[in-house]
Amino acid sequence: MGNDATGPSAPLNPAVENLLKFVNEDLLAGSKEKVAPDTALFDEGRIDSLKILRLIAFLEVRSGKKIPDELIVMDRFRTIETIAKNFPER
Amino acid sequence: MNILNSRASTLPHSDFSISDDGLLSPDAAETRLIHALQSRFREMALAAGAEERQFPTVIAEEILIRSEYFQSFPEFASAVNSPNKKGRYFLSPAVCYHCYQLLMNSVVPEHTLLTCQGRCFRAESANGSHLWEFTMREIVFLGSDGFVRAQCDAWKQRITSWAEQLGLIVKLAPAADPFFVAETRGKKLLQRIKELKYELTAPGLSGTDVPVASFNLHERFFTSRFEVTLTDREPAYSGCAAFGIERWCMALMAQHGVKEALRRVEESDDLR
Repeated sequence: MGNDATGPSAPLNPAVENLLKFVNEDLLAGSKEKVAPDTALFDEGRIDSLKILRLIAFLEVRSGKKIPDELIVMDRFRTIETIAKNFPER
Repeated sequence: MNILNSRASTLPHSDFSISDDGLLSPDAAETRLIHALQSRFREMALAAGAEERQFPTVIAEEILIRSEYFQSFPEFASAVNSPNKKGRYFLSPAVCYHCYQLLMNSVVPEHTLLTCQGRCFRAESANGSHLWEFTMREIVFLGSDGFVRAQCDAWKQRITSWAEQLGLIVKLAPAADPFFVAETRGKKLLQRIKELKYELTAPGLSGTDVPVASFNLHERFFTSRFEVTLTDREPAYSGCAAFGIERWCMALMAQHGVKEALRRVEESDDLR
């Protein structure tokens, strides 16, 4: 598991910040635990089969590109930082 | 025996022909190969310490509903009539569902291994590699997350090594179940991303790769639905390794022919 979201940290890259906001305030709304940019997003059952679809839809709108299934792999989705790096904003 | 042998030699050879409905009637040599494969997988499961169980070929609708089978594969299940007309039954699409039925509402030890072989039925579009009816050997692991992952990894390694020893050209790669309906796309993506399913594939009789084994982590999906817990009352983790016997037979025949395939299976080392 990564760090929690409460520790002091350097200013976030806007793409990471934007994605972090979506995940914590929308995707995981209602969940007590919030994630940090380096939290292993798929541990602890945080993301279920509906949430993954919403996350993909968010990334597709943000990048203006459809994400093929072959690119939906752990190496590209491990943390918010990894996702932001692999699926840049338009 | 002589009478049987002389009679067998006059019977037609099928060359693994599959009917339009995906039904297979192997000839004598192919049947020997199938039985040899069944024996080796059984030996490996028992050597790993699995307790063997035998289950009916049919399964109650209630068990498939609890497993969310119809949500994921609405068109695969084959219904059958039951003698007393009470409840609905289907031909089993996989043997491990019976294990969860067996363990329903129970507390399991942290290192639990079950094994079973059964006839399975999936009404997928029949072609050279999708049989409607086939034989599946499964090893089901239940316990802590660490135990289940370790078992899954051990079986991946054991079966890949055995396939290589048999001279099969195989590939082990992450995979996803063939979920069809839109709502289950999320399950498929989650399966891929979390690498919950690996398949071992080998070229079949048509030359294209077909899965011969799968190694699956089910997390707490089945155990929470069947209320299978560990002593701390939390749902156990579970997973399974599954081997499609006829697929192994087809892959071995494609690469070595039936006689050589049988020799290799019978003479292969006992992998533990």
